[in-house]
Amino acid sequence: MIARERFEQFKQKFGPLIERADLPSDRRLFVFIAPSSVKSVCEYIFRQLDARYVVSIGADDRPYSGKFLVAHNFAFDKDHLLCSVLCQLPPDNPKIDSISELVPAASWAEREMRDLIGIEPVGHRYLKRLVLPDGWPEGSHPLRKDVPWNQVPEGFDDTREFKFDEPPEGCMVVPFGPFHPTLDEPAHFRLYVEGEMVRGCEYRGFMVHRGIEKLAESVMSYNDIPMLAERICGICGCVHNVAYVQAVEEAAALKPTPRAEYIRTIMLELERLHSHLLWVGLACHIVGFDTLFMQSFRIREPIMWMAEKISGNRKTYALCVIGGVRWNITPEIKAELRQVLDKLESEWHAVVKAVSQDKNIQKRTRGVGVAGAAQVKNSGLIGPVARAAGVDIDCRRDHPYAAYDRVEFDVITAPDGDVWSRVVVRMKEVFESIRIIRQCLDKMEEGPLQLEIKDELPPGRMGLSSVEAPRGESHHFVITGENNRPRRWRVRAPTYQNLQGVPAMIKDQQIADMTISLGSIDPCFSCTDRLETIDLRSGAVKVWSQDELLKLTRTKERPKP
Amino acid sequence: MNRSLIAAIAGGLLNVALVLLLAPLAQGLLRKITARIQSRQGPPLLQPYFDLLKLLGKEDIEAGEVPGMQRFAAYLSLAAILTVACLVPMGFTDPMNAAGDVILLIYLLTLCGICTLLAGLASGSTYSLLGISREMMSMIALEPLLAVALVVGAVHLGSLRLAAVLNGSVYAADSFPWSGLIMLAVMLGSFQAFVQCSPFDIAEAETELMEGPLVEYSGPKLALFKYAQMARLVVYGALFVTLFVPWGSRLLFPFGWLLFWAKVFVLVLLVTVVAATHARYRIDQAIRFFAGLLSVSFVALILASYGH
Repeated sequence: MIARERFEQFKQKFGPLIERADLPSDRRLFVFIAPSSVKSVCEYIFRQLDARYVVSIGADDRPYSGKFLVAHNFAFDKDHLLCSVLCQLPPDNPKIDSISELVPAASWAEREMRDLIGIEPVGHRYLKRLVLPDGWPEGSHPLRKDVPWNQVPEGFDDTREFKFDEPPEGCMVVPFGPFHPTLDEPAHFRLYVEGEMVRGCEYRGFMVHRGIEKLAESVMSYNDIPMLAERICGICGCVHNVAYVQAVEEAAALKPTPRAEYIRTIMLELERLHSHLLWVGLACHIVGFDTLFMQSFRIREPIMWMAEKISGNRKTYALCVIGGVRWNITPEIKAELRQVLDKLESEWHAVVKAVSQDKNIQKRTRGVGVAGAAQVKNSGLIGPVARAAGVDIDCRRDHPYAAYDRVEFDVITAPDGDVWSRVVVRMKEVFESIRIIRQCLDKMEEGPLQLEIKDELPPGRMGLSSVEAPRGESHHFVITGENNRPRRWRVRAPTYQNLQGVPAMIKDQQIADMTISLGSIDPCFSCTDRLETIDLRSGAVKVWSQDELLKLTRTKERPKP
Repeated sequence: MNRSLIAAIAGGLLNVALVLLLAPLAQGLLRKITARIQSRQGPPLLQPYFDLLKLLGKEDIEAGEVPGMQRFAAYLSLAAILTVACLVPMGFTDPMNAAGDVILLIYLLTLCGICTLLAGLASGSTYSLLGISREMMSMIALEPLLAVALVVGAVHLGSLRLAAVLNGSVYAADSFPWSGLIMLAVMLGSFQAFVQCSPFDIAEAETELMEGPLVEYSGPKLALFKYAQMARLVVYGALFVTLFVPWGSRLLFPFGWLLFWAKVFVLVLLVTVVAATHARYRIDQAIRFFAGLLSVSFVALILASYGH
């Protein structure tokens, strides 16, 4: 009873500051505490108990409890326990002590909370906007419940430009992005460069925030949202799809059918296979080794075809509904999948051998973009980035979901924390994924694909779900609600944490290493921004000046408030 | 006298025409072989010709900070490499060898690099500035290598005349040609850098600097630069062959000539295979590599001066 044990520990230490607690299972712990004690409780959990920081969530709970809600989520990976520390804040002028000084990884989440919900993190050192555009008026917070999903507030000045910090003395500014050949999606790094050395950088992302969470909380229904969730990301969409569904299932105390769990596992691992193969290719492309880029894409292709055979799509599988899955894996597909895996395994062995012996690639990746165990802890880095620094965490083993508790696999780690270690970890994980899928195919039991759910889901319940995406832990937090949709749904994609570690990784190394260092976290900006870009159809031939282009982008139609 | 002058000029022009004609073919071959190594179909062999035509037909956008200089750099880059083509014997005659000596050749080759610098400066973008600083660093380390190779030949012969030096002169030592063989190894090691192919395409580095100095180029001017780069591969190939693999070039007309170009294309193949199997170096790694080669080449120079 580890959850109970932890709770007793808290009670002993903080006594009356703990208001109440909820222990729905031995793997979840929700503790409500007095807002004034948030700093000491979080420090105790993060430093003394050595828990891993996951994410902070702000929620507007005024229509239900009359208060704002803040949750700081932590993971006790060795205990298989996810813990949420919750505070209720008064409805007027909500404020809470910032924990980002004690837990540096919380910096972005607190800035996001301030932007979207309007909960002020008191004592936060860097209170620049993170998500909202710069011309957004003060005091308007889109994720509050009294704001309609399509509102553009009075006084929104969409021409206001982002104000960058002053570069340090003697440094040249190299704008990296918003569009750059190695960034597949818009994100802006302003690099401060001295000669060829990067001395620091400022990051501005969230350029095309889609407002997916708001859309889900105000317009869609429980079973629509999985399809929206997987559109968060073009590479690891299925992860979000599964994570959301699991969070809802947990909140409503539903257990998906065993066959569905195996199918979810298989699809998640197929996704990891294609993602890792894609990443190894891209990493090679970034360091100018296009041959391996092409080869790994060739090896990857049959996986895409298998996904299409199973789900009808190469990507965006539309796999889950609450309580089950929508696609079956037939005996014919099973046989074919086995063949594809055999071929993949032998071809991948050849690639791994070639890369391991290639001095040239190692020269470009060893000792580059280093993030050691201490930084992993402080910045909350996850996934292959953490494992490459020797930090042995993997949600599939630590917080088992779907059928991962019924298969055997190894968690791959490497000691050095540099880009090369990340390459090694990802290359070896491909073999583990193949192993997992094979076991699932062997063990998968017959049975229904979906649960029959007759009753409405109970409102006001909380659910957490951590799913190991190819790039790290993808964490979803759900509070169930009325009208067949959740009250609050917070997505924390892996890149959200890993990106915060990048400035430290690229500091004091050459600009040539910047791209591969950034690439090595396998960044997924769309996950982080929860955004998408829209192509404007262009008509007549015209040479656009920068001002004209800006004007064009700013006069496009938008929904009237 | 007059007739030989006319013959020399005609020979030079013939070389220019040949280079212009064959350079895109060499590029096409490079692309096709690269594609095959990467399990791809690859573009048709003649695609570079069409690419150039397409670029030449596009609208000419002056996007840089100093359009005049940008234009000048584009013209100069192609002109410089073609002037080199006039001077290098390509299979059958020694065209225009009376027009200059080895020193001129070295200067002209440096001029090709200078054009890239001009182009980058004229663009005025941060990326192109980074690109030219890299280009400059590698130029400073690279040019001496070629100079030493030529001077080794000149030392053996006691002459700076092009016709003499560009004929396998590096092996013309009194005893066993140690210096020549060392320079052959050095030039083989650095050849990728001279023709700006991976792993030494550092100045352009698409995934880091977005083509560096050429970032603001488009349309016809980009075509000129691309043409110059293609010509560079062929001209440097020819230079390498005349310096280090001269055997058979003096055979009766079609045979010697065919053999010469066959050797150049074998070299292109070699470049392709190396480029396709290597990741790009970082500039400091590359400079360290060049510095190593440079010290080896000085050993060769000393050996040469003692007649080895």
